[in-house]
Amino acid sequence: MENCSEDYRIQSFDVDTQKLLKTALKDPSSVNLEKVSNILVDQSLKDSLFSKEAGRICYTIVQAEAKQNNGTVFRRHLLNRLQQEFKEREETRKRSLQGWVSYVTFICNIFDYLKVNNMPMVALVLPVYDCLMRLAQPDALLNEEEVDCLVLQLHRIGEQLEKVNSQRMDELFFLLRDGFLLQEGLTSMARLLLLEVLEFRAGGWMLSSTAHKYYYSEIAD
Amino acid sequence: SSGPSRWSHCRKRGIDGSLRSHSDEDGDDGHSDSRNSSFTTPESAAPVSRCGRQSDWGSQVEDEEMRQDVHRDMQRSLFEGCHYYLLFVDVICPLFRYRRRILGSEVNQRERKTSSGSSGSCDSREGENMETDEAVLMRRQKQISYGKNTLAYDRYIKEVPKHMRQPGVHPKTPNKFRKYSRRSWDQQIKLWRVKLHAWDPPAGCSQEHTLSDNIEELDLDDIVDIELDFPSLAESQNAPSSLVVHSSAA
Repeated sequence: MENCSEDYRIQSFDVDTQKLLKTALKDPSSVNLEKVSNILVDQSLKDSLFSKEAGRICYTIVQAEAKQNNGTVFRRHLLNRLQQEFKEREETRKRSLQGWVSYVTFICNIFDYLKVNNMPMVALVLPVYDCLMRLAQPDALLNEEEVDCLVLQLHRIGEQLEKVNSQRMDELFFLLRDGFLLQEGLTSMARLLLLEVLEFRAGGWMLSSTAHKYYYSEIAD
Repeated sequence: SSGPSRWSHCRKRGIDGSLRSHSDEDGDDGHSDSRNSSFTTPESAAPVSRCGRQSDWGSQVEDEEMRQDVHRDMQRSLFEGCHYYLLFVDVICPLFRYRRRILGSEVNQRERKTSSGSSGSCDSREGENMETDEAVLMRRQKQISYGKNTLAYDRYIKEVPKHMRQPGVHPKTPNKFRKYSRRSWDQQIKLWRVKLHAWDPPAGCSQEHTLSDNIEELDLDDIVDIELDFPSLAESQNAPSSLVVHSSAA
């Protein structure tokens, strides 16, 4: 399978690491998959742009390993690393907002790409919800970075998440409504983002064309 | 890690799931090599904490995957149990025609035997007599996977094609869908594993290991062989001897 490296945005890595990743994609059993998973996780936590699509390269390696020898070594290491970071998320958030946001982006991207028999991984559902709920807390809503991350994830995986656990989605949206209505100190951009996502979900995870016009059209000066 | 047990060199994968090379350098998990692997029927493929269920995401996802595979197997097994399947295989593969003849005669035999109430010969074709408890199926599947995840098994299935296998002589994978007591099942697994050891690679030899197909999936042959697994028939004098081609699933 020919996949150019641009698809996976691995240009941010040094040459040797790029080579390692390319080998992992083609011949996973020949590389240290634990090392590879650590490289990918570490980069995702640093580089928010990378974390947005890191799920794709992870997915490809998982598939390649499964095809090559039915292995699940990479997936296991990846998930356990994710779990470790999940446990430490509050410290991460205190230390670096960007790191925290990158983590959430990454875990949601993994949720999106890594399926088991075309179903979402049950083990990730509640942790993902926990992350999103954290982003909907009053202190987080004050940060545009976090609100932006929250609405982006809901756009990407909201529908899937709701299918597997609608109750928690309801709880999340209670928080979002409250936040929109009551939270002091929200920037107008934050309020716009929240309003849009409220309408988005209410519309069955899509925006009506008029709403789309409202939120996404250029406004003539 | 402590020295490898007699059987550790026969295991295809190390504790962490990675493929072993013939020169086993898998030393990071001390537990794997000191265990007497042939007589353990572990609940999972990795060391389990005393608290029971694994809480790490890696294991949870693997369990989830196995559960889905087991359910799929079960559905296939139930489906295959109905007679429509016989027509189906007859059409797609003439090779199966002889099996159909056997099954045809077996059906008649079984109907005559319904009143015998023999508890031993549970018919996995009947939904009611099938083992459907998910926890039980999962545990059994893990035990089977553990046994199939060996070089011995790989060598066995390469060496003895299904149609050459003789009941009693060649190991046959226990049928997880049949109702057995826990003890009976564990005993069958043990005996099966012991029999498989006859195909262990000679100790200390270096060999290129080529992987066989996906060992987790129940392939078509296995399903049909489950159909053929009527111990009562094999032992009964009524069995048309020329037709009892007991091609057992390994």
